[in-house]
Amino acid sequence: MRIFTVALIAATFAVGASAAPKDETPQYKTAEAKHFTTAEGVELSPAFVDYFYAELRNELTKAKLVKEVIGEGETVDDADAPRSLVISGTVTEFKKGSVVKSALIGFGAGFKSLKMDADVLRLSDKQNLCAIHVHVKIDPRWNEKVMAKGAAHEMVKEMKKALAESTKTATADAGKPS
Amino acid sequence: MPLRTLRFYLNVIVLFALAGSCRSAAAADEPKPTVENTISIELGDPVPAQKFEHAPKFWIANVTDRSGNPQPLLVLKPRGGIFLDKQPTAIVKDALEQSLKATNLLAADEASADLVLRIYVFHFGLASGSGLDFFGKVEFSTMVKNHKSGESTEVKATGTSIANGAVRKKNLQKNVEDNIENALRDAIRNFLRGSQLKEAVVAWSKTSDVQPTAAPASANAAKPPSR
Repeated sequence: MRIFTVALIAATFAVGASAAPKDETPQYKTAEAKHFTTAEGVELSPAFVDYFYAELRNELTKAKLVKEVIGEGETVDDADAPRSLVISGTVTEFKKGSVVKSALIGFGAGFKSLKMDADVLRLSDKQNLCAIHVHVKIDPRWNEKVMAKGAAHEMVKEMKKALAESTKTATADAGKPS
Repeated sequence: MPLRTLRFYLNVIVLFALAGSCRSAAAADEPKPTVENTISIELGDPVPAQKFEHAPKFWIANVTDRSGNPQPLLVLKPRGGIFLDKQPTAIVKDALEQSLKATNLLAADEASADLVLRIYVFHFGLASGSGLDFFGKVEFSTMVKNHKSGESTEVKATGTSIANGAVRKKNLQKNVEDNIENALRDAIRNFLRGSQLKEAVVAWSKTSDVQPTAAPASANAAKPPSR
């Protein structure tokens, strides 16, 4: 019984060690997040755009998608340009939501809603690497900055997924015999 | 004196006493700078500037506060307040001078400088965040003036940082300090490595008859610029 317990613990550790994230070097060297623009009719304060920009940079740093997250308008060495990303986008829709609806109906009714579109470009040739669409909904009583936080998190998650997929596709295409 | 008049005067006195006590209570809530609640913002290591083909010499003529903040030293009002030990203008000037000096881009005086900088600080400290964390923001605009031709170019720089909130006052103060330092560093970096500054320096090198110091210009001219 004791041997079985020891073996079980050892097996758990072995599985845990193999599942641990690998310390991979990021594929891209730099990423530049730009201030997002707002579409006509979107009633959001300029402070929201500023905060979202900061949150996006913060999330990009946390995600370790790139080696370095640079500020808007910073120069990149010519050698690093093919491995540099530029993220720009637009807030396409914002609905203020309704506290009354949220309280009376519930189930997500009356929630604040935000829709964003973003493009990830390669700096050297301006090639569009992926297009991201994010839709975030939060309780209408919450601050709009909380929504920016959620949107930034979601955007980086989607970006990571899309870039991984495009890399996989590119690798598969390169591996095919001509 | 009739009793009614006496009662009226008594009411007036009580009213004044109450108003006075409310005012003093409000004044007591106003945080005051002490050694414990004052933080010092330092840049730390100087921020390396971008490499210029013809490196000019900069001189910071003046730094003006354009934030419109009546209390520029007060960073955070609740919980006894958090104050800066120096004016934001002085902090920005020190940080920029430190970085320019480290890369040998700072002139000895205004007369010997190629480009004179006039800085306008629009925001320094914390900005309104989500409430769950601290949002540090440093924003300034610089007028880069060519000393010889008199032409000016505007260069904007913004630095942001987001730090976690804290419950204990000690941690709160530390997080705010780190947050503003990171935002300052980010803003200085944004200025020194920005494409707007690069354009200003390129415009200066065209107007002044400087000789190329690094590799010949034709070797670099073949490469397209990143921006």
